[in-house]
Amino acid sequence: MSLTRALMAKLRDQLAGAEAMPPPPPMPAIEAPPSRVFPTRRAQDRRTQQHTTALLGIGHVGTRYATDVVLQFQAELAVAHEAVAAELPEGWAEQHGLIPVRSRVADHREFLLRPDLGRRLDDASVARLRERALQDVDVQIILADGLSAVACEGAGLALVEAMEQACLARGLRVGARVGARFARVWLEDEIGQLTNAKVAAILLGERPGLGTGDGLSAYLVYGPKVGNTDGDRNMMSNIHARGMPPADAGVRLAALAAAMIAQRTSGVTLDLAKVDAPIERGYRAPQVRQRLVERP
Amino acid sequence: MRGSSRVTGELAAVELSATIRGVRYRFASVKEVLARANPPKSGDDLAGVSARDAVERVAARAVLAGLTLEQLRMSPVIPYEEDALTRLVEDTLDDQAYRAVAHLSVGQFREWLLETSTTGATLRAVAPGLTPEMAAAVCKLMSNLDLMTVGAKCEVVVRANNTLGLAGRLSSRVQPNHPTDDVEGILASAREGLAYGCGDAVIGVNPATDAPASTAAILTALDELLERNGVPTQHCVLSHITTQLKALELGCPMDLMFQSVAGSEAANAAFGISVGLLDEAWATMKERGTARGPNVMYFETGQGSALSSGGHHGADQVTLEARAYGLARRYKPFLVNTVVGFIGPEYLEDGPQISRAALEDHFMGKLLGLPMGCDACFTYHASMSQDELESLKVLLGAAGCTYLMSLPVGDDIMLNYQSTSFHDIPTVRRLLGKRAAPEFDAWLAERGIADGPVPGPRFGDVEVLR
Repeated sequence: MSLTRALMAKLRDQLAGAEAMPPPPPMPAIEAPPSRVFPTRRAQDRRTQQHTTALLGIGHVGTRYATDVVLQFQAELAVAHEAVAAELPEGWAEQHGLIPVRSRVADHREFLLRPDLGRRLDDASVARLRERALQDVDVQIILADGLSAVACEGAGLALVEAMEQACLARGLRVGARVGARFARVWLEDEIGQLTNAKVAAILLGERPGLGTGDGLSAYLVYGPKVGNTDGDRNMMSNIHARGMPPADAGVRLAALAAAMIAQRTSGVTLDLAKVDAPIERGYRAPQVRQRLVERP
Repeated sequence: MRGSSRVTGELAAVELSATIRGVRYRFASVKEVLARANPPKSGDDLAGVSARDAVERVAARAVLAGLTLEQLRMSPVIPYEEDALTRLVEDTLDDQAYRAVAHLSVGQFREWLLETSTTGATLRAVAPGLTPEMAAAVCKLMSNLDLMTVGAKCEVVVRANNTLGLAGRLSSRVQPNHPTDDVEGILASAREGLAYGCGDAVIGVNPATDAPASTAAILTALDELLERNGVPTQHCVLSHITTQLKALELGCPMDLMFQSVAGSEAANAAFGISVGLLDEAWATMKERGTARGPNVMYFETGQGSALSSGGHHGADQVTLEARAYGLARRYKPFLVNTVVGFIGPEYLEDGPQISRAALEDHFMGKLLGLPMGCDACFTYHASMSQDELESLKVLLGAAGCTYLMSLPVGDDIMLNYQSTSFHDIPTVRRLLGKRAAPEFDAWLAERGIADGPVPGPRFGDVEVLR
């Protein structure tokens, strides 16, 4: 037996049947921690909340979050994940009077992993557009799922209606409504090219944020054709009731389309100072945070 | 043009093949071997360069293990004539350091890195002789624990207003982004982050609007906050480098200058940058930057960025990521971090891929001599759970990662993704017994925010700050 093993054996003999740890001390009832409800209602935090929707003033337990914060956070996370996982029901576009098209993507997982396939139409959709879409239009509006079918189903049709009416009021010729499934932004190029539109506008569910699965984004491009890049486009994001309401967004998007047609360009070369509605390249209205979990 | 003739050609004479269970796997080029040796990544599938199956992946690794570092130097994934980054690496490689390891095979190099006798000081001496392709190659032969073991050994210490990268330290960037650049909103988040002991790497804001005037306004406000409270750290606004140069002309303070960089000349052109522009920005910062230095630059990277701009040249995303570090090291940066889960599931699909990429990037960056940090994060359309993300922060801390990000509840209200929180930094520090950067650590103690890795009486109390 080695010296170390011999020493260990002797030590164990001395300790005999002793427990490795002493018995715990008697425990009095633990005082309930103070109520930590998020968001706090301190005056200072209310002042802060006028300037930011960041989750400030939530306190801490040790170095971690209070239970109420954890539940609120998990609810916000669930809303975001639910929006990403949602799919437009089969036949949704047709039921709502849109010409149904879909990209070359086969299923939802492929949609997330293959943006290249989400940017091109499948053969049946090309044939359907040739047969049913209006040709030589000023503005081709496309409603699509993008990264949130929830947003598309929510305010999508209201946004299409608002933009269409605002375009018509400006005397623009608007194409037949198209509804696209498994669509990425650049799908507007092929659709606009097939309808020979001056401007293509795709309105689609944007990548959800924490607690916000219902935002729509709009991407407009002058002279839609396969091969256009992001620099050729103008966009507006955060379109929903708590951000930019669809009615306002429709008016602004029509103004943007009209400016593209007047200037015969879009994207980085478009002069936004000459758009007759308040718009910036990539405008994003501030987000209002909702309390999701109500506990008695 | 030293060495140009040596790095243009492929290794025509070398047979790139391996046999597994009687099946012979042949590869057309070193670039193909590097790509197929990668662990599974959705971005390599998207680029069409990944292994067909798990066995071919091992065959590629077997071939790679037999190549020498000299052979890798001779086979950059983008030829010398075609790419400014390849030329930069080749023309500035430290010959003496290179000769110390050139004869080792990648398999032998892996073993040497892992040996207990190979210390941080040795690794530091070898770093300037390594090309990005060498770092990427050995990375592909290493498991996550291998990557952490060597990453933790590397010593990269840098200094601006404070000192980052010392042993036993874990720093963090406070990232007080705001969807409309409301300065009061930005300051509110920054103050809260400081009250939780975060922000020793930098207070760094991604602006919603990329404009010189707002960049200058945010920097000025941050400068006043840090000055008023005597906080020993740095500030930065992460607008485009040309915007920051214009902001400097407006006369604003600027401790660090930022730019996103990628692994090929073409991908960097898509970012609107070149080696010449970065050289100019660095020279300007040495003259007009407000940090004490000598390290004054900040770079962000991320696997997949070259492919997303079509500048990948058929190479895999790990090798391209290493090449971004090959560019970054020219500027002796104070901060470099991979934004590992930000780019989306088409490049890194899920928790295992994002975690693996974070450890790969940290290892390769450190091996090449960079003060590597990581934005451990996911977008909401990637398949990574919050628990997986929290675990990754501990792995990175244990691997010696220089810094992590920090935001209120990890939620970026401008960029819409999930990162590290103000609460996570003190949690990981406490779990691993790590402290903030020494100057900042002393400030935390003085304000009662923390006592080393332990929260202090004023922990989380924003009224500590004026």
